[in-house]
Amino acid sequence: MKASDFLYHRPESVPQVLGLLRDYAGGARILAGGQSLMPMMNLRLWRPAALIDIGRIPDLERLEQKGDVTILGPRFPYWRIENDRVIAERLPLLARMVRKVGDRQVRNRGTIGGSLVQADPTGEMPLGTLILGATIHAESIRGRRAIPVEQYFLGSYATAIEPDEMLVAVEYPRHPAYFSFAEVNRRHNDFAVVSVAVAGDRAADGTWHNLRIGLGGVDETPVLALAAMRRGEGTLLQAPDIAQMGILAAEHIDPPDDFRASADYRRHLTRVHLTRVLGSMLASAGFREE
Amino acid sequence: MSDSSNQIEICFEINGRQVTQTVPVRMHAADFLRHQIGLTGTHLGCEQGICGMCTISVDDRPVKSCLMLAVQLDGAKVRTVESLAPDETELHPLQAAFKRHHALQCGFCTPGFLMLARSFAGRRMNRAEIAEEISGVLCRCTGYEGILRAIEEWLPGTWTDASLSDEAGQ
Repeated sequence: MKASDFLYHRPESVPQVLGLLRDYAGGARILAGGQSLMPMMNLRLWRPAALIDIGRIPDLERLEQKGDVTILGPRFPYWRIENDRVIAERLPLLARMVRKVGDRQVRNRGTIGGSLVQADPTGEMPLGTLILGATIHAESIRGRRAIPVEQYFLGSYATAIEPDEMLVAVEYPRHPAYFSFAEVNRRHNDFAVVSVAVAGDRAADGTWHNLRIGLGGVDETPVLALAAMRRGEGTLLQAPDIAQMGILAAEHIDPPDDFRASADYRRHLTRVHLTRVLGSMLASAGFREE
Repeated sequence: MSDSSNQIEICFEINGRQVTQTVPVRMHAADFLRHQIGLTGTHLGCEQGICGMCTISVDDRPVKSCLMLAVQLDGAKVRTVESLAPDETELHPLQAAFKRHHALQCGFCTPGFLMLARSFAGRRMNRAEIAEEISGVLCRCTGYEGILRAIEEWLPGTWTDASLSDEAGQ
C-alpha cells in the first residue's frame, strides 16, 4: 500500500523541529532513516498529519567520547554501529547485536534514535541500550531532560518520549568488560522469539560484578532479569550459579503466547539461552564453564 | 526551512544524469522512479521493507526504495538496475554471471539482487558472508544456489578493477 497524505517539513535545526512538534501537538512524526516509520505508514497503521524530516540537520550523526561515556546522536546509523572502530572498542555489545537488525539495506538507512523511539519489544538496539544502562536525552520547547533507560520503555512500541519531545542523544556509560548475546528467530531476519544479552565485569579474584542481564521478546518491553542479576552478583558464576540464574530468569517473566511461540516455550528458551550466554561470557573472560 | 506543501521540487542524480522534478511528498522513491522517471527496472513487491525487490543504490549504499520518500532523494546520487549494462546488446559482468549460473527464473527479484550484489564490488567475501549479505532480497524460484554461484564468480573480477573503486562501499 501507499502512505496516506501528510504535510512535509524539512527543518534545518533542532529548535525548528521542536517548534513544529509543539504546533502539531502529537500529530507529527519525525522521519530519520524511515526503516520503522515507512512500513507503518505504507501499511496505514499510522497516518500522521505531518512528517518532520530531520535528514538535513547537521550534527545529528555525531559520536562523542567523554572519558568512559559515549554519546550517539539520534541519526547515528546502524551501519556505523556495525563498522565503526570507535564503537567496536567502546560499545562492542551494540556492534555485536546490530548485525541482527534487519538486513543490509535496512542497516544502511536505520538509526539508533529511530529504533529507540519505535521501541519494538523484540528490538536489538532497545535491549542493548537497556543492558548498557544508557540515558536517553529528550528535548522540547519546555526544555531538556534525561531519562534513565530503565524508565524509558513504557510498553509495546511506547516510550517516555512526550508528543512534543525529540530524542536528541543517547548517552552510554562505561561499557562492562565482558558481554554475550544470543537470539532465537523462526526465520533469518525475523523478529526475535527470545533474545538474551548479558554484560559484566570480573574482579581479580574471579568474582563477577555490575552484572546486567536483559531479555527481549518476553514482555511488552525489553526487561532486566533482576532476580537473576542479584543471584549472580559477586559470585564466580560457577555452574550451579548459572543454572539457578537461568531458572530465576524464566520464573520471573510473563511472556506472550503468540504465533511465534508459546509462553512455555519462551520460558524454556530464556532459561536455556541465559545459561548459554553466561557460559560464553565466562569463556570470553578465559574461563570454561564447568 | 522548506514550507509544508504536498508537492516539493527535488534535484538529484539518476544513473549519471541530473534531474529536477516536482514530486508529491507522500510518494515513495520506487513509485517515483517507475512512474515519474520511467525507470521500471526497479520492481515492487511488498512495499513494507521485507522482500527487497525495490533495492536501489543511494549515495553508493543499497537501500529499499519503498522505505524512502521520493523527497529524500533530493541531492542524492541514485543508481538503478538500468545503470548496469553499458548498452542494449551487452550485459554488465554481474548480469552475465547471473545468466551463466541460472541465477534467475522469473526474474522479478533480479534487479534487487543485482543492485545489492553490485555494492559488494571490491570486497573479499566467502559464501557464508555472501549468503548473509543477500538475505534482504527474497527469491521464490531459484533456491538461491545459482545466485550465490554467480556472485562468487563475479566478485574476484572486481578486486583489481579501479573503475569500480568509487562505488565499492557497503
